[in-house]
Amino acid sequence: MQYRHVQVIDGKGGLRGIAVDGHGEIYAAGDSEIKVFDAAGRLMRRWPTARPAQSVAVAGDGAVYAGELGQIEIFDGAGKLRGAWRDAGLLRRVTAIGFTQDSVLAGDSADRAIRRFNRGGRFLNNIGKDNPLGGLLIPNGVVDFGVDAEGIVFAANPGKHRVERYTPAGELLGHIGRFDGIDSAGFTGCCNPTNVAIGDAIYTAEKAGPRAKAYDFSGNLLGVIATGLFDANCKNMSIAVDSRGRVYVVDTVKLAILVFERVSA
Amino acid sequence: MSEDLTRRDLFATVARGTVLVALGGGAGFLVKKAGGQVVWQVNASRCINSRLGDLGVEACNLCTTECVVALSAVRAVNEYSKCGRCNICPAYFNISSAVNELGQPSEKLCPRDAIARRPIGKVDPEDPANNFYEYIIDEEKCDGCGKCVLKCKEPLGLGSITLRVRYDRCVNCNRCSISKACPQDALMQVPVGQALQPAGIERPG
Repeated sequence: MQYRHVQVIDGKGGLRGIAVDGHGEIYAAGDSEIKVFDAAGRLMRRWPTARPAQSVAVAGDGAVYAGELGQIEIFDGAGKLRGAWRDAGLLRRVTAIGFTQDSVLAGDSADRAIRRFNRGGRFLNNIGKDNPLGGLLIPNGVVDFGVDAEGIVFAANPGKHRVERYTPAGELLGHIGRFDGIDSAGFTGCCNPTNVAIGDAIYTAEKAGPRAKAYDFSGNLLGVIATGLFDANCKNMSIAVDSRGRVYVVDTVKLAILVFERVSA
Repeated sequence: MSEDLTRRDLFATVARGTVLVALGGGAGFLVKKAGGQVVWQVNASRCINSRLGDLGVEACNLCTTECVVALSAVRAVNEYSKCGRCNICPAYFNISSAVNELGQPSEKLCPRDAIARRPIGKVDPEDPANNFYEYIIDEEKCDGCGKCVLKCKEPLGLGSITLRVRYDRCVNCNRCSISKACPQDALMQVPVGQALQPAGIERPG
């Protein structure tokens, strides 16, 4: 599978987490604000967050969830604050947010775990914490995950060079990935992949040297989406995929979103 | 008469001044010896091996080759509070070597085998990826070549390993031969108290 680089979107300042909604609008968390770009990369709207935004996700009803330090803020699509979930213990540093049909998931990098809440914000269970190491291995400092249509959680476990599959209740189902510093089918360095997105495939982003790849759900490499296009000092590059299979990757040094399109099956 | 007095006063003043300057210099020297002694130290934010942003460079090795002390007075030092305790440490393993049956790189990075790796905490003997690891530098073997430092720095590592001058080895030359050779001017004379601060931190003023 091959991809081509089709677009660079200027992040208009700080860039951390990104998400793409069902209409192809791109949401970016960075500095203390949420920015929304249209598919052509034009900045459509932006609004402030109470604290520096680490991550962003858009729910099926259009609500925008911003992950911050100690809290999640929930906005409508226009940026009007609907509410906030505050928990200094469970939401210390929210670096990823996702949804199952009936729950909201938040990656708390301070505790190396994914928290599962019901839609009203009541804590249900942890994901990725019930293991001998007490959590996901993230020397890179970011918990990231994606969720498939069935509600299966795909969590990056970079210290193990794996993407792990969990049920929403936290049961480990298996993993893909292995260390390899030569074969591009593996993940290299101390800790990769740092970021993951789920669509029709498993999409991963790595640091040192920065690259994005696609895997099938059995763990076979489908293709290297990009390498060499990112600044070599990039780290924790948020990755997202839209309904058309376009892949979005943050260059954390140039503060831009690079967009890739599939050119062959 | 008044002219003689003036001349005597002038001599006395000059003499008193000379004594004061001499005493002052001596006092300054004593203060320097007692509390403000300067020593050589590596500034990690200047050293090419640890300076952020410089990628694709080779470890420069000058701390090893230029020091007048046998095996150099410079050592790689792992600051454990920053170390990720990774399973695959790029400063320990040659991560570009072939993968072995344990799923790890088959070669070590250090040419002198000066880094030891041991699992810590509750150890899972079945799966090496299920453990945290401590990386201990053997200072009897290390010669400060900087290869591990280069691989430990961001974004590949966490920058926990830096080069440091060890004062039980350093003879504190007036003009350090490493500093003369270092193209980054990373060897600096600093007060003892500052030299013992964590690498890369410079106090204002």
